[in-house]
Amino acid sequence: MRQVVRYTAMLLRAYVRDRSAVFFSLLLPLMFMLIFGALNLGAFGHVTMGIVDEARNADSRRFVDQLAGIGELTVREGALDDEKARLSRSERDMVVAIPADFRLAPPQPGASVPTLLVYANDGRAQQVAVGRAILQQLIAETSFAVTRTSPVVQLTQEQVSAVRLRYVDFLVPGILGMNVMQLAIFSVAFALVADKQRGVLRRIMATPFRPIRFLTSQVLLRLVLSVIQILILLGVALLVFKVQVVGSVLDLLVLTTLGSIAFLTVGFTLAGWAETVNQVPQFFLSGVFFPTDVVPPLLKPISEHAPLTYLNDAVREVSTQGATLWDVRGDVLGLAVWSIVGFLLAVRFFKFQTS
Amino acid sequence: MTTPIISVTDLRKRYGEIEAVRGISFTVAEGEVFGLLGPNGAGKTTTVEILEGLRNADSGTASVAGIDVARDPTGVKRRIGVQLQASAFPEHYTTKEVVELFGIFYDRTVDALALLRQVDLADRASQRQEKLSGGQRQRLSIAVALVNEPRVIFLDEPTTGLDPQARRNLWALVQSIRDRGITVLLTTHYLDEAEVLCDRVAIIDEGRIVALAPPRTLIADLLGRGFTKPVLQQQANLEDVFLDLTGHELRED
Repeated sequence: MRQVVRYTAMLLRAYVRDRSAVFFSLLLPLMFMLIFGALNLGAFGHVTMGIVDEARNADSRRFVDQLAGIGELTVREGALDDEKARLSRSERDMVVAIPADFRLAPPQPGASVPTLLVYANDGRAQQVAVGRAILQQLIAETSFAVTRTSPVVQLTQEQVSAVRLRYVDFLVPGILGMNVMQLAIFSVAFALVADKQRGVLRRIMATPFRPIRFLTSQVLLRLVLSVIQILILLGVALLVFKVQVVGSVLDLLVLTTLGSIAFLTVGFTLAGWAETVNQVPQFFLSGVFFPTDVVPPLLKPISEHAPLTYLNDAVREVSTQGATLWDVRGDVLGLAVWSIVGFLLAVRFFKFQTS
Repeated sequence: MTTPIISVTDLRKRYGEIEAVRGISFTVAEGEVFGLLGPNGAGKTTTVEILEGLRNADSGTASVAGIDVARDPTGVKRRIGVQLQASAFPEHYTTKEVVELFGIFYDRTVDALALLRQVDLADRASQRQEKLSGGQRQRLSIAVALVNEPRVIFLDEPTTGLDPQARRNLWALVQSIRDRGITVLLTTHYLDEAEVLCDRVAIIDEGRIVALAPPRTLIADLLGRGFTKPVLQQQANLEDVFLDLTGHELRED
């Protein structure tokens, strides 16, 4: 045990000095998250609406104030030319022009009603659709109020999901899963296979150091790194991007740690089998570890049971649906089975030297 | 002769079609410097790796320091020091840390600086191992081979790729190890090296020992069979010229 702890500490020391390893396992995922955050993918259902108020009367003010009070909208006012220029620079999703004759009064028979002119950013069709729907809704409500009638049909909506989730809330669990996998498999496989090729492992095996202790130390190091990585990513997600985790953060940590163990055993199996680093990517191109909807039907059962599928499902359930570990026990079991099978394979087939 | 510290009997090893070792037997006495000579592919490294517990023999027996290698390879590893061909130390460590790391593998605390001093590397203690020159790296691997205070050390082609100065420096190091009573088994394909260092040599070719005796005896035997060199033996050779011009000083920076 003392030997394992001492060796793990030495491995950690080398790891900290290895700039490329630190970059790929900690900085790169962080940058990914920051880039996604900066691109504002989180503001998926959010609409920036420019308003050109040419009426400038009490009615148009009331209408604009009502729009400004809607949570999904960011309302900006300006002159028509200016707003259209901003639209073309994608600073606006849509621009609404309120005509000079705008007023909120019951329509006179034969007279035309004021017409709102909408300029849409065709690159942001989704936001435009949301914005139009909001406008329609507000027009309908205003009409009923002004004409003192009631709608003939009513729509009530029941909120199903208690928490409103943004895109980034779905994105973060995915990033966590990918990173746990990349650290556990790629970094283990590349580092160990490179050491194998250079004869480092052979040199170590010429000492009485027992292989099981060697592997245990390597697993421990990666587990420590995984937990640190998860804590950093989760911390940034929670504090900087205010990502909402519906379930318990502790459950997420437990799941991702379990996921790490499953991937680590897979990584060690791979590292034990491969003789050159070139064989590592080959293994991944086989697609076994990427759950995807476009896989051929024949491979579907495999992809459904891939460790990343289990991990992502479970993390997503906990993070966006508030599931507990017990709720996702199927995924937990899947990861546990992968861990055990992977460990047995790694111990059985690990080769310390190239033949 | 007292009980040999290494004893090999009818060792055989085959890789697929190739029979690398075909019935090798020899013994090494404690305190001896024993050389395994032979052309590349003769079976030297395979033989040594079997003795080091890194490969299993197909048949035959080998014992080192009284321990059967096949039965207790870990026990053998605990008592020997090794320097392997085509191996490397883990990256991102200083010279001193490499020695300490191997201390962990042998589960003992080591005075890394003292070991580095023995191989004249104390001034490189805080330098990254990757940055060492070829000769310095060989000396580091000898320091590492001494970490567990072994009774026998195995050096597999310790001077291959070194310049003449570094080779001579390593020879001096091997002699100082021998003077401490440690048995040395080395492989080489440099015959001058064997002549200088080895008490006895075994010449291996195609997996068999074709001669085994002290170098002087082998030379005397050859001359006794009426051998003469076609050219007159010079009193000096090109290496002597080289060393005379460039000195014995180590160049390593």
